[in-house]
Amino acid sequence: MRHLAACILLTLLLVGCAAPADPDKAQESIQVIAMDTAMLITTYGERSSAAAYAAEDVIRDLEKQLSRTKEDSVVSQLNAAGRRMLVEGDLIPLLSSSGWFYELTSGAFDITVAPVVSAWGFTTDSFQVPSQEELHELLKLVDGSEVSVTPAYDDGEGTKATVRLGPGQSIDLGAIAKGYAANKVLEVFREYGLPRAKAELGGNVLVLGDRPDETPWRVGIQDPKRPDDPNGFIGVLELTDSFAVTSGGYQRYFEENGKRYHHIIDPSTGYPADSGLTSVTVVADCEMENGTMCDALSTALFIMGEEKALDFWRSGGVPDSNFELVLVTEDGRVLITEGLADRFVRDESSGYSYETIS
Amino acid sequence: MRPFPKLRPTVWDTLVVLCVAVLAVGLAFFQWRGGQSQGLTAVVSIDGTEAERFAPGELLEQPRTYTNNGYTLEVACGVWGEVSPWNHVSSGGEQGVCVVVSDCPTQDCVHTGTITRSGQSIVCLPARIIIRLEGGVTDPDAVDAVLG
Amino acid sequence: MKLTTKQLSLCALLTAMALALSYLENLFPLSLAIPVPGVKLGLANIVTLFALYALGAAEAMLILLARCLLGSLFAGNLNALMFSLLGGLCAMGVMIVLSRLPGLSLYGVSAGGAAAHSCGQIAAAVLTLGSSAPLYYLPVLLAVSLLTGGLTGLASACLFQGLAHTDLMKG
Repeated sequence: MRHLAACILLTLLLVGCAAPADPDKAQESIQVIAMDTAMLITTYGERSSAAAYAAEDVIRDLEKQLSRTKEDSVVSQLNAAGRRMLVEGDLIPLLSSSGWFYELTSGAFDITVAPVVSAWGFTTDSFQVPSQEELHELLKLVDGSEVSVTPAYDDGEGTKATVRLGPGQSIDLGAIAKGYAANKVLEVFREYGLPRAKAELGGNVLVLGDRPDETPWRVGIQDPKRPDDPNGFIGVLELTDSFAVTSGGYQRYFEENGKRYHHIIDPSTGYPADSGLTSVTVVADCEMENGTMCDALSTALFIMGEEKALDFWRSGGVPDSNFELVLVTEDGRVLITEGLADRFVRDESSGYSYETIS
Repeated sequence: MRPFPKLRPTVWDTLVVLCVAVLAVGLAFFQWRGGQSQGLTAVVSIDGTEAERFAPGELLEQPRTYTNNGYTLEVACGVWGEVSPWNHVSSGGEQGVCVVVSDCPTQDCVHTGTITRSGQSIVCLPARIIIRLEGGVTDPDAVDAVLG
Repeated sequence: MKLTTKQLSLCALLTAMALALSYLENLFPLSLAIPVPGVKLGLANIVTLFALYALGAAEAMLILLARCLLGSLFAGNLNALMFSLLGGLCAMGVMIVLSRLPGLSLYGVSAGGAAAHSCGQIAAAVLTLGSSAPLYYLPVLLAVSLLTGGLTGLASACLFQGLAHTDLMKG
């Protein structure tokens, strides 16, 4: 009889281990409108709710600092002040990264393109094609190398640094801020020890761990030819612990006299980049800082075009970091770099031809 | 000594069978009424806070309107792939939620068309309104996030 | 509860048979005909039903627990333990009650048990997934359980018929 009792005890013990609703499956999903885009944060695990709201706080805080349209943001103040200003907070690492990617991409990534973007009306939604002369004048202001940040120091009230812009320059961190936000969100996720989570920050996707069913997260890449079709993908990336960012001319544009003008402005011409690419997706592991890299590179490589982008990838363009690409060309090709090939599920019905790049 | 069980079906057995059958049919009916979208819930959030949640099927009776930030959106039940969202009765296609009319400048919400699957959303940035579908049977092949 | 050696060995034998039957039913993949997750014949229920009448509720419960535990151990899948346990316990509870009602035959008890098993299984799925989505399958599972419950009822009836004259039934 004692054996039976022991059996029951053992059973109960095992049940005790297996049965309680797995705390890792607890889920929280919140939507945030910030940084001019819709964001969706889904977290799992015991502390999922707290983590999701902490992530929202981080994003709101960043928006407050970085918005170019909110007058009291640090960025607006810097743009208004021109020249020199003592700044603190997230602007310092962001400006350092921006300078770094300006160098690496030979100027394809340039935050000082802001006045040109404004001239096209992309900051205010009052779209117009600027005149040749106007662009010519504004392009003189575009030079990322003139932005400098002194080494940050802590004066007891926080880390600060002096930022200097060139005369008349202004900056727009739109092409890097969401990636930086993704970094910070990852930091929050890690801090709360989440087993899995995903964050969609307007074209920037961060996935931590795998899906609740223990398969990789499925991240669809929008078909640039069918931007309004919620099921229109060129393919699906199967990712775990990754950052992924897509930049494409189809995301924001206006039409005038039958010609389409999109929002990714080439700092060298002042016109929307016309590089033969319709979208660029950059994917990297969930290392810190990689969110910023993916965001900055997706814009820069879109501007550089197919050949230069692939050269950049082949030459390991960013020291000490790895990234993979999916390029979509105007002539209907999808180019997937080697390291991503087995994580990319093609959609053969999309009408594209697929190539793996090595 | 335990009673020896009855080996032939009795009238009372029919009662058990009937109970189970009624339960099954009742549940099925309940689910069917909850919208053909298999337990999907539309969650509307305005300015980042959840404003309302309802079954998409409820829109069949009456479309709903939401106003925020000076813009008004009219949300209705639509059939994916149908040209006119007013055409509620459809032989095929998946039912879902769409924004029929909006006076926002971008019209992105209207262009999004009908969303039918859990996880999809319609976003109207000018009005700061997000309509998202949640719940339902999750299709393992559905994408979890969209780039672009 | 005091078990005689005979009862104890009968329990062990029945546990082994239940496990064998659970394995055996994989050879008849009902889910091919009815492609709904969780659909199965539930042959092991014959053993539970038999134990319930021949040995008693407590013994039947022991056999059930041992079967679920060993079954999921053999399958190397402790996740499945929760599903089979919740399903099994629900079925057990309902069958204990139904078997004490005077008017019901094996068929009614078996069908009721099978339906309860479906409910328990879905409850386990709802708990593990943290979503009510699996409820969607319950009506189909309930309908199928009437069929499988009837089948196991028939099998048990044959079993009792054959064993009616042995001393197994006399405790």
